[in-house]
Amino acid sequence: MEVLNLKHASFAFAALALLAAPRDAAAQDTVTAITNAKIMTVGPAGNIENGTILIQDGKITAVGAEVAAPAGATVIDASGRVVTPGLIDAHSHTAVEDGVNECTHIVTAEVRVTDALDPRDISIYRQLAGGVTAANVLHGSCNSIGGQNATIKMRWGAPSGDTLLFQGAPPGIKFALGENPKRSSFRGTTPRYPATRMGVEVSIRNAFLEAKAYKKEWDDYEAAAKAASMVKKGVRSATPPTLPRAPRKNLQMEALKEILEGKRLVHAHSYRADEILMLINVADEMGFKIATFQHVLEGYKVATEIAKHGAGASTFSDWWAYKMEAYDAIPYNAAIMAGHGVVVSVNSDSDELARRLYWEAAKTVRYGGVSEDEAFKMVTINPARQLRIDKWVGSIEVGKDADLAIFKSHPFAPDTRVEMTLVDGKVMFDRSKDVAARTGVAATLGGGQ
Amino acid sequence: MKRHPRPGLALGASALGAGFLLLMAPATEAAKTPVYAITKARVLTATGAVIENATVVLSDGLVMDVGPNAAIPRDARVFDGSGLTITPGLIDAFSGAGMPAPRSSGGGPGAGGPAASPAPDPIAPTSNIYELLKASEALKARDSGVTTIVPIPREGLVHGAAAVMNLAGDQPESMVVKANIALAASMATLRQRYPGSLMGVVAFFRQALIDGSFHHAEVAAYEKAPSGRKRPAFDPGLDVWAQVASGTLPLMLQTPRIGDLRRAFALADEFKIKLVLAGNTQAFEEIALLKERKPALLVSVNYDPPRVGGFFGGSDDDKTRAEIEKAEKNPAALEEEGVRFALVSGFATDFLAGIRKAIEKGLPREAALRAVTLTPAEILGVADRMGSLEKGKIANVVVWSGEPFAKESKVKMVFVDGELYEPEEKPAGPPGGGGATPPGEERGDSARRTGEVK
Repeated sequence: MEVLNLKHASFAFAALALLAAPRDAAAQDTVTAITNAKIMTVGPAGNIENGTILIQDGKITAVGAEVAAPAGATVIDASGRVVTPGLIDAHSHTAVEDGVNECTHIVTAEVRVTDALDPRDISIYRQLAGGVTAANVLHGSCNSIGGQNATIKMRWGAPSGDTLLFQGAPPGIKFALGENPKRSSFRGTTPRYPATRMGVEVSIRNAFLEAKAYKKEWDDYEAAAKAASMVKKGVRSATPPTLPRAPRKNLQMEALKEILEGKRLVHAHSYRADEILMLINVADEMGFKIATFQHVLEGYKVATEIAKHGAGASTFSDWWAYKMEAYDAIPYNAAIMAGHGVVVSVNSDSDELARRLYWEAAKTVRYGGVSEDEAFKMVTINPARQLRIDKWVGSIEVGKDADLAIFKSHPFAPDTRVEMTLVDGKVMFDRSKDVAARTGVAATLGGGQ
Repeated sequence: MKRHPRPGLALGASALGAGFLLLMAPATEAAKTPVYAITKARVLTATGAVIENATVVLSDGLVMDVGPNAAIPRDARVFDGSGLTITPGLIDAFSGAGMPAPRSSGGGPGAGGPAASPAPDPIAPTSNIYELLKASEALKARDSGVTTIVPIPREGLVHGAAAVMNLAGDQPESMVVKANIALAASMATLRQRYPGSLMGVVAFFRQALIDGSFHHAEVAAYEKAPSGRKRPAFDPGLDVWAQVASGTLPLMLQTPRIGDLRRAFALADEFKIKLVLAGNTQAFEEIALLKERKPALLVSVNYDPPRVGGFFGGSDDDKTRAEIEKAEKNPAALEEEGVRFALVSGFATDFLAGIRKAIEKGLPREAALRAVTLTPAEILGVADRMGSLEKGKIANVVVWSGEPFAKESKVKMVFVDGELYEPEEKPAGPPGGGGATPPGEERGDSARRTGEVK
């Protein structure tokens, strides 16, 4: 698994390098300057009324009121606009080809969203139009332990799915509790274990018992292999140097082993307070951590316990009653959990909603009295922290990736919209160009619909 | 059961009328395929050569001679080929001919469908695909000038061992030219069982290749020193995957989505597998990648295959139409960029119509011919015995009434393993067409006696 991931990473790097090469050669040292902007840094610099951001080689090199654009810089005049960090969607199923659920088994930890990414998916572009620059693309919620996630950047039109991957983002995995894994609303389909919440719990516990045995098998092998190599080198001379044979690699167990080793983030789809506590108990018993509870609509009832476990919470703004386990949802959920020290994000779970994630965050101001700045963190730095990518994105700070959204006005204003979106310093969406292109399309269609 | 080395013979001999036998100069022994000579024809060898006014001599199932000065054996049946064009037999390296009809006709789970027979195992690495072939059905492909097929089941994930088969004979076994050329598989999802998603499909292949390699190593270790070891379980399925994982058995993989090319290459890089990629109606989208990787590429002329339905979003008619149009231009675009490929029917009902469409959209005629003869032979590893009209190769030959693939052009005669077959004239032909001479004035029952000049 380790080896495979490295392989993937190096392949993606190579592809990126290929892509970047001609651009860099042509535009070496070219600085992009976003000037005259109101900047919501979401970082220590706070909000800057009138400032400049300098970008070079995809990174933010300077930000502040006193910063000046150097001669020869490509200038983006943002007078009257608001520049923010690119938005991050902590729960997405975007750009996944031919199925977001591998529904056939209760545990499918071996499947990888990365394998099914479609960089041509138009949804990516549409989300860029909503200022979204990164997303946690998750497996569906059909299984108690689902597939491996892909943390992506919205590099629309990239040649391969690998090119979308957020380099350095730690791997994650989808868990799901309640009605979806027990198939409550899918009675017509092929029956599959489990059919109860009890069953969901035991399926997770069983999987980790198996994973622990698997881990022990590998740990024992690696220890023996190390001992044998030491004998060979003459460091030790105890047992005869018969090199043990490696156990069979089981990709499903590999993923669970990584969870036990703290190398893979658990994102747990959950609704009810009792099942949230259940998973915390199972995690404590088996010795792993939950990175985020997703949806977590009854999180407000157990916010203390979630905070104590150290898990984040990624929730909907005000969606409720769309199924039985969503009846106790309240729009104050995000605010209450945040008030108890939980790192909270507001997510989309939808290609459509993802285009106006900023307004979803705004609802926490109305429901729960969260400050505007804290509310905006719920779609920027907070999801970045939950996905462990906050050292690169989530705020406008020197050294971070130049993933930026330029809004018409404050992102919570009812008349706002995204004018421009940059990923790695590259303009990936430009409303003026989009509008211009529309007239062209309309002309070819013979004057619109 | 006796297996005849030259399968079509028994059928051929019995079907040939007594009158025909009388015409044969010396009384040949029954076990020998007749000697044929077609004279004064235009020959496209598929190696690039065009030989005018040439004679093609077929004897004992082989091409005996080709050229303007080829000697006509005394015992030959001679056809006047004036105005006719002769090419190697077409090889359809990915064909549904003679394969069972699809069970699931797009219906929902468990719903509808008269299917009473038990579903075939969709994951069958140890099966021999040729055993599924219904010979009488497959032989119909000869009407399009096809002499050789690689039959592939229409459904399933791992189909089993693919074989190159000649369209002569009545028993699948006897039609096999080369067995076990590849493990045929698809990146299609199974829906009702694992893997039911694309990401599941990739995960399935990855684990199967790991398991195959592991099993192989276990068996090898045991064979080296069995004493004191527990014997590994016998598992022919894992043996197959082990061969694929080590690159000794190619994986003939259906890659229906654009992104599947990269997915397949990623698997190949991880496990050192040898790939033959089939489908690829949108392959032109990945020209740069194809030029770099130079894969064995089978490009389907089934421009409008059934769409894969996604969980989110339905079909978009405009998009579908645009995709079909792009798929039709795909072969021409690949050829223009110098990407090597074979054209295959890919379950299309009319292979010739598909090839014709590709030509219409810009694929040069010579390139089309090579893409259905020599190139597939090379990809399938049988170019030493078929794929071009050359001395010593198997007598798989097509005689056309005019320019091959042209709409007005008809398949007049097909030789497979030296066995003559003459397609029935379709009554729908335009009156006064043809122009070229003799063969096939009659229609109706066996046209074998027609067309004889001598």
